[in-house]
Amino acid sequence: MALELPKDKWSGSVQEVVIGATAADGGTRTAAVTVGGETTMPFVHFEAETPNRPVLALEIKDFRPNDWSTLLLDVWGEATNDPGAWAKAAEEAGADLLLLSLSLTDPEGNPNTPEAAVKAAKAVLEGSGLPLMVYGPGQAEVDNELLVPVANACQGERIVLGICEDKNYRTLVATAMANGHLVVGRAPMDVNLSKQLNILIKDAGLPLDRVLMDPTTGALGYGIEYGFSVMERLRLAALRGDAMTQSPMSVNVGFETWKTKESKVGDDVPETWGDWEERAISWETITAITLIEAGADIVILRHPESLKRVRAAIDNLITAPELS
Amino acid sequence: MTSTHKVTFDNAAPVEVPTGATLTEAAALAGIVLNQPCGGQGRCGRCVVKVQQGEIRRRSTLRLSEGDIGQGYALACQAVVEGDVSIHVPPQEKLERRLVTDLTASSVAIPDGYCYAEHQTVQRIPLRIDPPSMEDQTDDWSRLQRSLRQTAGIDKISISLPMLRKIGQILRDGDWEVTAIVEKSQSRETDSARLLDLFPIHFPKEKPLWGVAIDIGTTTVSVWLTNLITGQVLAQTAEYNQQIQHGEDVISRIIYDSKEHNEGVLQKLVIETINKLIERACQRAKAKPEEIYKAVVVGNSIMLHLLLNIPAATIRTSPFINVFNESQHILARELDLTLHPEAPVEVLPTVASYVGADITAGALSSGIADTEKTTLFLDVGTNGEMVLGNKDWMVTCACSAGPAFEGAGVVDGMRATKGAIEEVWINADTYEPNIRVIGGGKPRGLCGSGLIALLAELFLAGVVDKSGNINTTLNTPRVRTGAHEGEYVVAFAAETSHGKDIVITHVDIDNLLRAKAAIFAGYVVLAEGVGVPLNTLEQVLIGGSFGQYINVEKAIEIGLLPDLPWENFHFLGNTAVRGAYYALLNWQSKQRVNEIAGKMTYIELSADNAFYDAFMSALFLPHTDLSLFPTVVKLKEQNQQG
Amino acid sequence: MAISGIEIYKMLPKTNCKDCGFPTCMAFALKLAAKQVELSACPHVSEEAKAQLAASSEPPVRLITLESDGHKLEVGNEVVLFRHEKTFYNKPGFFFLVKDSEEPAAITARVKEIDAFAVNYVGIDLTVDGFAVKSEGEGAALAAAVEAVRAGTKRPLILIGDDPQVLSAGLGKLDGEKTLIATATPENWEAMTDLAVAHKASLVVTAGSLDELAELTPKIKEKGLPNLVLDPQVSNFNDGVVKNTILRRMALAKNFRPFGFPIIAYPYKAGVPEVEIALATQAITKYAGFIVLENFAPETFYGLLVLRENIYTDPQKPIQVQPGVYEINQPSPEAPVMVTTNFSITYFSVANEIESSGLPGFLLVADAEGMSVLTAWAAGNFDAEQIAKDVKRFGVEEKISHKSIILPGHVAVLSGELEEELPGWEIKVGPREAVDLPAYLKQVA
Repeated sequence: MALELPKDKWSGSVQEVVIGATAADGGTRTAAVTVGGETTMPFVHFEAETPNRPVLALEIKDFRPNDWSTLLLDVWGEATNDPGAWAKAAEEAGADLLLLSLSLTDPEGNPNTPEAAVKAAKAVLEGSGLPLMVYGPGQAEVDNELLVPVANACQGERIVLGICEDKNYRTLVATAMANGHLVVGRAPMDVNLSKQLNILIKDAGLPLDRVLMDPTTGALGYGIEYGFSVMERLRLAALRGDAMTQSPMSVNVGFETWKTKESKVGDDVPETWGDWEERAISWETITAITLIEAGADIVILRHPESLKRVRAAIDNLITAPELS
Repeated sequence: MTSTHKVTFDNAAPVEVPTGATLTEAAALAGIVLNQPCGGQGRCGRCVVKVQQGEIRRRSTLRLSEGDIGQGYALACQAVVEGDVSIHVPPQEKLERRLVTDLTASSVAIPDGYCYAEHQTVQRIPLRIDPPSMEDQTDDWSRLQRSLRQTAGIDKISISLPMLRKIGQILRDGDWEVTAIVEKSQSRETDSARLLDLFPIHFPKEKPLWGVAIDIGTTTVSVWLTNLITGQVLAQTAEYNQQIQHGEDVISRIIYDSKEHNEGVLQKLVIETINKLIERACQRAKAKPEEIYKAVVVGNSIMLHLLLNIPAATIRTSPFINVFNESQHILARELDLTLHPEAPVEVLPTVASYVGADITAGALSSGIADTEKTTLFLDVGTNGEMVLGNKDWMVTCACSAGPAFEGAGVVDGMRATKGAIEEVWINADTYEPNIRVIGGGKPRGLCGSGLIALLAELFLAGVVDKSGNINTTLNTPRVRTGAHEGEYVVAFAAETSHGKDIVITHVDIDNLLRAKAAIFAGYVVLAEGVGVPLNTLEQVLIGGSFGQYINVEKAIEIGLLPDLPWENFHFLGNTAVRGAYYALLNWQSKQRVNEIAGKMTYIELSADNAFYDAFMSALFLPHTDLSLFPTVVKLKEQNQQG
Repeated sequence: MAISGIEIYKMLPKTNCKDCGFPTCMAFALKLAAKQVELSACPHVSEEAKAQLAASSEPPVRLITLESDGHKLEVGNEVVLFRHEKTFYNKPGFFFLVKDSEEPAAITARVKEIDAFAVNYVGIDLTVDGFAVKSEGEGAALAAAVEAVRAGTKRPLILIGDDPQVLSAGLGKLDGEKTLIATATPENWEAMTDLAVAHKASLVVTAGSLDELAELTPKIKEKGLPNLVLDPQVSNFNDGVVKNTILRRMALAKNFRPFGFPIIAYPYKAGVPEVEIALATQAITKYAGFIVLENFAPETFYGLLVLRENIYTDPQKPIQVQPGVYEINQPSPEAPVMVTTNFSITYFSVANEIESSGLPGFLLVADAEGMSVLTAWAAGNFDAEQIAKDVKRFGVEEKISHKSIILPGHVAVLSGELEEELPGWEIKVGPREAVDLPAYLKQVA
């Protein structure tokens, strides 16, 4: 007897999105990254192949961050003082693309400036040929003030600008449209809110092949189950043909996990938590793999060892298995 | 090739216009002013005219059905003249009624077949009594009882002590020709009738016998003063519930009421509100409060508990239990109502904590309990209550919508009375509004229907995005940044009756969005819970104090009502007070409400997160799932192109 | 397949007799649709309706129970492919591998250490569920290893081997327990079935392909053993997703009975600790009912235990954030303290507004059972007492140099009571809507 495999019939697919532009396309990146395009639930190979692998980004900062775990500062060492060098190190560590997240202030506590932000972005573009995402510090006014000049300075590079939220998306969308960039929209862990934000961004004029969505995922132990289910629901809706949920999903695992107590600190924690460094890396790895199983297309990490482990899992996940 | 064409409007002198002119332009030349609330964008449909001879080209037929076009109707602002034509301009007021359901309270239809003698429990009975004599030593009360038995067939009747003190004098003052006011007991076989009052005269037959139907809403209290003999409603009054000063919602009221030192305060306030409304209704109908011999009261469970000064604390917390659901029979004097002190006050039954007598009465008056059709009945007030079903089964739920649709909790909100903006159109190019004010004159604020229309127009004109954010980058003085982020000025100070700007703020819009999302989510969950798809609904009946004036298409545009053909909607005004009115007139109707209460199945929305999901997806204009609102999507697209 | 309330209602007597304990037939129908009552509660239902309604009631994934002295593990009874559709009910069991080729003393020591491991997560102690003893030689060796394991733990066991006689020796040491034995194959299934039946054990079944597996389980069931567990022979990430998805989809969506059993996963076979963790991560998210690990390290096992708790949380509960004090924009002790509830959307909107104001602050997230401010207040879960309790519980006073707290404007009514609950504190009333927070903070700053 031969089993009839339980294939689902889907009418929709995830939008395919290209990040970064090579010289041929008017940019300077050594290669572009393509994400999305899936026509099945994650890695259900017996329905269809996975057209683009989930890609891994490493997050770097314009200034050496004073709120990052020492584990991270130690592993990146001197490079943290120079975004160009950090970018190069991240590329060497195996990243597919880079996230430059801009700081609110410089190390002396002075407000960040558009000039400094542009300088950091330029340094990263020179330090590495990888496609780039650039996030503001997360305050609407400052984000707009820093990202608009960055977007102008990076014209043609097809970078990802973030983060659009439902109260602040017009400026980023407008500058992305003007400069040929992409945006990522983030909504707080709710299928409807993610979808609503995509509708707003599309209404503002940006074509959907230049939109990514960050559903907000939480970290292992800190709400990952909600992120997991919201992502599964978004992917299901996308496959069922709802165009406004078909954006590839970008998840910021590094940000989410490295603020947890489990990862951030090694002192004053229960003995049953075991070794700090291995715990922190596991925390990031488990979170990443869980979200990849739920449909993540871009996973942003902070630790190079996590990246290595997650990459190994992805390498195997995207190949079709032999069903003996 | 330029040529001119002759356009004739009804009996006016023909005018000449060039090819390509619109009928609006031609009408202006002819000295005819056509209503154009939307500014000639072909959106409002107010300038509809009928082409009687010749042909015009219709740029847009939005607003016109196939049938309309077939009959020659066209929108003047979208009608391009390309040849000689003769045009009929229909009376404009009539057209407004096509769009706005203006079921004003002015005339309430008396229920079919109402028979005072048969259905009414309170009767005015003229008596001719044999006077006492040395031979007939029967006491006054027995004599009166005997006369009632002989004249009106009343076997058993009771009397209160205050009445007993008075009857001797009244009988003699009237020289044994008196009129008794009696509450009969058809609905309570075992109880006796009661003597409510006695007069030393006979009244002319035309003199009304007064009763009153009362709906106590969380935000608005409504009163219908009724002549029990003819069944006619002679005055309707409504006013904000004075309890509002101690909280806008039922929960605040419960909490306030459960504090020891506040005991009885809310009861006093609602009774003051009712007495004031009765007073006002009496002035209008030339009646006196003490001549009102019967009242029927409906309201949500909390309002009824507070009216009777019954602790309501158990309704607030899980598992949400009422002290009573059954209908109650109380006397006016027990409640300090200014009715006749002996007048019965009937409180109709409730179903559950958040499904009150307003709904059981509404189910009666709306007709959902008598129809074969799968029906959704919505009662939109501070709480949105809804019933889905037909004559065989009914499920019901309630959700908290907030008072926005009653004009409360919004910066420039007000009740739907004189001075309220009840309709708004916004020009999509200039962002200038065109408003209609209740009673004409300068506006003072926005009522529920005005708010609904305003939100719909802001959305269609692109002033707010689908999330309700005001686009503050628009180049118009109407949009500005105020105390609550963005706001839109509906009327500048110079245009208003109180000399202050009338605005809608970002926070107001959030409140409206939440209110409409809660109601939409409520009936979606109800329908899904039972397994009845929304698009299979055969009719939607809408009640509530905003329901009298609401504009169905605006309500669909904001996603408050489902995107169904307009003819499926029926606006019934205040169904709660109407149900109370039916029960006031007819004891069988009152029994019917009791039966309905027993048949309703209450669904608790907080039991799972289906409601939350539905709510979040409805928190968008018109809805996150645009496929649920195809006509709105089409309209928005046309608007953007136009 | 699910039947809607209205369809069930149509099969009921429609008399509203209340004999079932519900006020109306519709109320009863809705409870039936939600599988919260049994049809038998209605004494008047027709035979025809019974037949129609019974068909949809058998659990699509069989419940398997392992039991030992004082311990019980239930796996299976799952009804959905995606947790948001209802919930995943029974958490997969974690079992650590022990080989009978090891020294008994070493086995006992290893088992004792793992058995004693308990890590606290949100107030719950998380532990291992049992041990898997793998036979690598004779029955005597297995029996000795089982004894050594039992010297270190009372938790349920899985015995792994392909020789029924060898396994029998191990099972002989586990009288009265409900054990899981592995593995029945197309070659040995008859003897394995007899063994399992004799010892009231459940049986792991495998075959070279899913086709053969589908042929094998009905045979074993027919032979009198309904308590089976499927081993789809997962070797890596890619076939893990594919095979487990096929098994679970067939069981749930196609009601394919041969696959209506829990699944066992063996991440330990990877042989590399970090790959073992990654495969276990996948197994938790993708339908495994039993997960056998080998490498024990608290720092990694903690993460797996937490992931299992998270994925098996009931998603029907409102999305909550952990109650506590959240520090936003690196507040100094002078920074203001605001209070809100632990409903996630409420938290996010408040936290985002504070964050975007650029002004530092402490956000006290009170435990309001995951409700929004107004809902929680309405239900009595967000009152002065609760706020005062959380102010103390989370040590707000130790973090700040002032004594003032900002209430959401919607619950301004609580300020009087909160003054009583927090003597000496200044209670301020903030704006009703989060969007007005930045302006408010600038004004009070």
